[in-house]
Amino acid sequence: MNLRTWKAPGIAAALLCVAAVGCTDPTVAPKSNTTDANVFSDPASYQAFLARIYAGLAVSGQQGAAGNPDIQGIDEGFSQYLRLYWEHQELPTDEAVIGWGDIGLPEMNLQTWSSTSTMVVAMYYRVFFQVTLANEFLRQTTAAKLDGRGNVSAPLRVQIQQYRAEARFLRALSYWHGIDLFGDIPLVTEADLVGSTPPKQSTRAAVYAYIVSELTAIKDSLPTPGAGNYGRATAPAADMLLAELYLNAGVYTGTPAYDKALTAAQAVIAGPYTLDPVYQHLFQADNNTSLEIIFAITQDGTHTQTWGGMTFLIHASCGGSMSAGAYGIDYCWGGVRLKPEAYNRFNTTADHPAGDTRNSFFYSTGQTVAVTTISDFTKGIAAPKFQNKTSGGAAGSNPTFVDADFPLFRLADAYLIYAEANVRGGGGSAAQALTYVNLLRQRAYGGTSGDITAPQLTLPFILDERGRELLWEGHRRTDLVRYGLFTGGTYLWAWKGGTQAGAATAAYLDLFPLPASELVTNPNLKQNPGY
Amino acid sequence: MRRVRALTVGLLAVVWSAPLRAQAPTGTIRGRVTDSASQQALAGATVTVGGRAALTQADGHYLLTGVPAGTDSLRVRMLGYAPAAQSVTLAGGDTLTVDLALTAQAVGLSEVVVVGYGSQTAGNITGAVKQVNSNEFNTGRIVSPEQLIVSKVAGVQVSDNNEPGGGVAIRIRGATSVNANSDPLYVIDGMPVGGGAGGGLSAGRDPLNFLNPNDIESITVLKDASAAAIYGANAANGVVLITTKSAGGGGGGRRTAVDYSSSMSSSSVTKLPQMLTTAQFQAAVAQYAPGRVASLGSANTDWLSLITRTAFGQEHNVALSSTGGSSFYRLSLGYLNQDGILRGTTADRLSLGLNYDQRLLNDNLGVRLNLKGSRANDQFTPSDVLGNAVGMAPTQPVYDPTSLTGYWDWNTTGASASNPLASLNLATDHGTTWRSLGSVQADYRLPFLEGLRANLNLGYDFTEADRERFFPGNLANQTRQGHGYLSLANNSQVNSLLEMYLNYAPPISVGPGSIDLTGGYSYAKSHAEYPFFQESNLNSNLLGDNGIPTAGTVQNLKTVVDTKLISFFGRINYNVSDRYLAAVSLRRDGSSRFGPNNAWGTFPSVSLGWRLSREPFMSGITALSDLKLRASWAKTGNQAFADYQQYATYTFSDAQTQYQFGNQFVTTIRPSAVDPNIKWEATSSYDIGLDFGFLGQRFNGSIDWYTKKTTDLIFTVPVAAGTNFSNFLTTNIGSMKNSGIELSLNARLLEGRGTGLAYTASFTVGHNTNELVSINPSRSVAQILTGGVSGGVGTTIQVLEPGQPIYSFFVCRQYYQSGKPVEGKYLSLVGDTVLTGCNNSERRAFHDPAPQWILGHSSYLTYRSFDLSFTLRAYLGGWTYNNVSSSNGAYNGLTNGGSPSNLNASVLKTSFVTPQYLSDYYVEDASFLRMDNITIGYSLTYRGQPLRLFATVQNAFTITGYSGVDPTAGLNGLDNNIYPRSRIFSGGLSARL
Repeated sequence: MNLRTWKAPGIAAALLCVAAVGCTDPTVAPKSNTTDANVFSDPASYQAFLARIYAGLAVSGQQGAAGNPDIQGIDEGFSQYLRLYWEHQELPTDEAVIGWGDIGLPEMNLQTWSSTSTMVVAMYYRVFFQVTLANEFLRQTTAAKLDGRGNVSAPLRVQIQQYRAEARFLRALSYWHGIDLFGDIPLVTEADLVGSTPPKQSTRAAVYAYIVSELTAIKDSLPTPGAGNYGRATAPAADMLLAELYLNAGVYTGTPAYDKALTAAQAVIAGPYTLDPVYQHLFQADNNTSLEIIFAITQDGTHTQTWGGMTFLIHASCGGSMSAGAYGIDYCWGGVRLKPEAYNRFNTTADHPAGDTRNSFFYSTGQTVAVTTISDFTKGIAAPKFQNKTSGGAAGSNPTFVDADFPLFRLADAYLIYAEANVRGGGGSAAQALTYVNLLRQRAYGGTSGDITAPQLTLPFILDERGRELLWEGHRRTDLVRYGLFTGGTYLWAWKGGTQAGAATAAYLDLFPLPASELVTNPNLKQNPGY
Repeated sequence: MRRVRALTVGLLAVVWSAPLRAQAPTGTIRGRVTDSASQQALAGATVTVGGRAALTQADGHYLLTGVPAGTDSLRVRMLGYAPAAQSVTLAGGDTLTVDLALTAQAVGLSEVVVVGYGSQTAGNITGAVKQVNSNEFNTGRIVSPEQLIVSKVAGVQVSDNNEPGGGVAIRIRGATSVNANSDPLYVIDGMPVGGGAGGGLSAGRDPLNFLNPNDIESITVLKDASAAAIYGANAANGVVLITTKSAGGGGGGRRTAVDYSSSMSSSSVTKLPQMLTTAQFQAAVAQYAPGRVASLGSANTDWLSLITRTAFGQEHNVALSSTGGSSFYRLSLGYLNQDGILRGTTADRLSLGLNYDQRLLNDNLGVRLNLKGSRANDQFTPSDVLGNAVGMAPTQPVYDPTSLTGYWDWNTTGASASNPLASLNLATDHGTTWRSLGSVQADYRLPFLEGLRANLNLGYDFTEADRERFFPGNLANQTRQGHGYLSLANNSQVNSLLEMYLNYAPPISVGPGSIDLTGGYSYAKSHAEYPFFQESNLNSNLLGDNGIPTAGTVQNLKTVVDTKLISFFGRINYNVSDRYLAAVSLRRDGSSRFGPNNAWGTFPSVSLGWRLSREPFMSGITALSDLKLRASWAKTGNQAFADYQQYATYTFSDAQTQYQFGNQFVTTIRPSAVDPNIKWEATSSYDIGLDFGFLGQRFNGSIDWYTKKTTDLIFTVPVAAGTNFSNFLTTNIGSMKNSGIELSLNARLLEGRGTGLAYTASFTVGHNTNELVSINPSRSVAQILTGGVSGGVGTTIQVLEPGQPIYSFFVCRQYYQSGKPVEGKYLSLVGDTVLTGCNNSERRAFHDPAPQWILGHSSYLTYRSFDLSFTLRAYLGGWTYNNVSSSNGAYNGLTNGGSPSNLNASVLKTSFVTPQYLSDYYVEDASFLRMDNITIGYSLTYRGQPLRLFATVQNAFTITGYSGVDPTAGLNGLDNNIYPRSRIFSGGLSARL
């Protein structure tokens, strides 16, 4: 057989091939998807990408209220950042209990979680989902990348610099949650490429130092406070985050930094924020108009829908004989109530006279103070603090998905940080500290009847006051850890350690475990001690 | 690209390489072919010599002209006879007369079996292939073609779906995949229709329902990889070849016949979920929810009986067949309307089919046109009806004239069951699917080279599938959440196919045997559009699904998906004296689903056969009609996973997931986790088989042993946090093993001589074991939890764990006291300690849904004018999680939510107060034995034409220990309010007009 014998058929086959267009090229580019090849040919993509990092705190995927989820291995509604963060910060403490038996939830009430507990695993991945998004945003917006695309106008460039600072803020925020909850975690930055080898484990102190340096570096590049930038990170938000970090520096690094906490809180207080005259307004459907909120995770019944976040908080806090309509919602999920300790903190004592209105929304009809059965909503006083009704009494835009935003940082917290840092020896003025605390109490009492005196401003009082002022606002676990009361037997509360009377728990529970699945995929990691 | 061209050229070169002959003197051969036993003439036998061929006429005579002079072998072949050959010496210009007598041979061995890109005689097949012909099909009310072969093929599991025409899934030799599809590839008359469940798109139920089962001639299952490998990247789950009926034959004068068949059916429920009776419910509320006693009504309502019915169905088929001269055709029209036993469910199909064959150019060119078209209207029971009928309190009345809807409902804002009849009568859910599939096939015997044929196949497959769902805002559940819902999907898909191949079977020997070569090219393209509209919070319910009211939340989505599959394939069959057989095939697939670094995949196969029964040393054993040893190896692929996985895509948020920047809301974009190197899953399979037959194949059967290992299994696995855009990444990472044995036996126990009683029986046995070998590269033990259950949000009941079968149940060991499960108490995995609560660390893999043993039996009896057939099936060793029982079987269902829910009767045994989802108590043995169908028929002659009357009962009985409504709860083994099983009685007639 020579070459000529099969040349003709070869040519014939080739001709037939040409008849069918692209007959040997199986490539088909996606039409309904935007790819990394073309996404940034639209200048709006920079803002859209940044908005997604913010939205990572507020929604669970790209479809409202569920669909196309960000993370997997968990029900999408359960996977939402704020919902998970709230469950970690409130359920294991003396403030809240949830009645549902869904997998991964019961152990949150009892401090009996393990490295496979669904909520714990999801929280870890939520933190790193935020970090990875921010890293990619920073990689896609380097000067070299912008030059290369050739379609970035000078004003947009300026805008992108601000976006970059915001992305770094959001990364710092999640890293704070990461070290606060999990301790030694990997430090992944924009220098680590996507799809690269599993990152090395860093230390809590090193990540702490990184967050501090990042916040210091970007503080002045962030948007200015004001209604036009509502929802976005501003310089006071960075100061507030620094204040939280410094306040807990002793926990994170072994070396306290109360002086820095006080300075940072002072910087926030010097800013444009003022106490909202109406405490309840901070938690209502129109709380975006409150001048006290420094940084909020925004929710909107029409535009920002999720089964987690405030939708969860408002629906789950409603149950028993409560009327859903009274809180602007369609339907009570009947899940979250107060543990008795949180309810009793409002009881009249020498340090706390009667008249505090910060519990005025508590609902006790048909409810008992004692949580005798976790699964029964009527056991434990209900606390519909967050509501889908405006301060004017109008219902939110949607009865299922709520309008109320979650106030992550607000001025009252800065006052309390100032006071605590001062009492703990961080400098500043004791008189000023007392003034700040009494400002909060004057709002709560509608006058000076609840004012305290200088000797009453003690660390235990501040912890209780935080429990009253910041109830269910996602601070409690961190506060109790800082006070050394979260674990151990010094302070027992209902269902701590698994019994209604409360039992001592082991100190290692101050940290959550790294997910078991993560230890398999990333052999560089070492589990937190005790797990 | 260069490699591809080299391959093409190479294949074609092989085909063209036979030497061309010089012009030479010729002569004529004539003669007659007869049956050696009866001496009767045989019509239609093929006589070949020296590149010339002819068919024998009705009187057995043949005539061959232009036969080259010289000595050659004259060969005669005919279905049902052993081939014969005789040496002839012909001088130029001479006419020779050669008469031949053929010896009848068992049809089973000479039967032509359809294989990929060609056909083969059964006796010479080297792979594990089973063809089921229409006379062996299951009988009764058959809506989906897959139902025709249930229990007929060893090693094939068919999952039931009790809805009329509900999606039926087939597993051939176990599932090979977790995240790609495990369904076989369906090929209809040479047109691959996709690897999804049933193939293709549907707004109704099973996509294959567009094909009228009455139009099907045969279904061939390519079980082992060597047979399937010619389909390359789509072949890992086996291939099902469907051949539709044609008028057959041709030749002689034109003969036309009209066949009509019709049947009517009646279905009734065999089993419903066991809930508390009204009295039991009242007692339970009094004890566990005394505060709610006052809220109970005084009615006695059996909600489940109100939503079910005795369902009727009818079917009519008319076929016009015409044959004669050089063409034949069959035109068929079918109509089916079948109601389901759940009120509101109906399957309705109007189908049209045309197969037209024309022979041209002196019979050298055969052109076949296949056209199939259908319209299916499927009505569905609104999704919440069954669940609400289970949960609605039996003490409550159905109607309430004072309510908005006229139906009684709980007045609560908490979670609650609602009136299922309100939903049934006010909500709608229906789909319409238009589908047309057609192809033109030309088979050309090239005149310049004897034995060379070219085949061209042009095909299309068009589907338009519309589905509409509507829930009015005044339904009780909607008033609590959602406030009305409307969705419209108008999906469409157009697939086109160009395929050409050459087949060369030189009439002369190549070496000691004969060779048969096939080489071809295939180009398949698909374009699909999925526009989707949904809205909730409706401002009006007046127009139902016929209008689009303004609404609080509106979502519009559209996805366009284009795919391509380009393939080169070739096969060589080598046959030495019908004794030693070998087949080698190779397919190279380029798929749009593979990443840029893996654009092409190669899928080879080798199989060998040794027909011991044809060895001289076996010739003494006259009782042995067939003994063949087969062995094969092949590598096949599975590309049935989502498109565009290899691209780093950014997904836009919809209007409901924007984020607030100041006073405006910003649409967001999110990068998706990506593995740019994603590629097909590869399955490497070995099969060793033995075919045997005795007494002229009166008793025959085969045994197969196989093992297949799937590597590069696509898993969505956790990735190290911080390295990709999600916590899970879809990538080729795992491996899985299936191995098993199969046995099939067929016996013509009575042949009807003398007594008039004929009885044929067949048995199939399949045993498969599945093991997930690894799910991560470090092979350290890790688990992926899966199988979400109803009731506990986020609760999963199954696990993917190395060393275990896929989808093993993942549960805690229930602790029992005096035979009764103790609530919340479990035994530790080590040491049998009694623990409180079920922690993840105390759960273990415990049984799995796949049956270990699949047994089938078919009997066919005829006695004079009567016929009787039945099919029995047993699936042994499969387990099911009874989710109806676990989620409704706890007393806190009476206190939770806004109203007391009715409970599953299992609560009377367990006394659980809170649901114990993770207890192994709910994992039940779902082994069963079922009489799938019994048919009795009576044939007579009416006005000189055949007429047959028949009656069938389907699901005559089921014997099982499973406590739920049906042990065949689907492939995933989760029974959560599945559609109840029915028993169907049908009767009808078929007649030639």
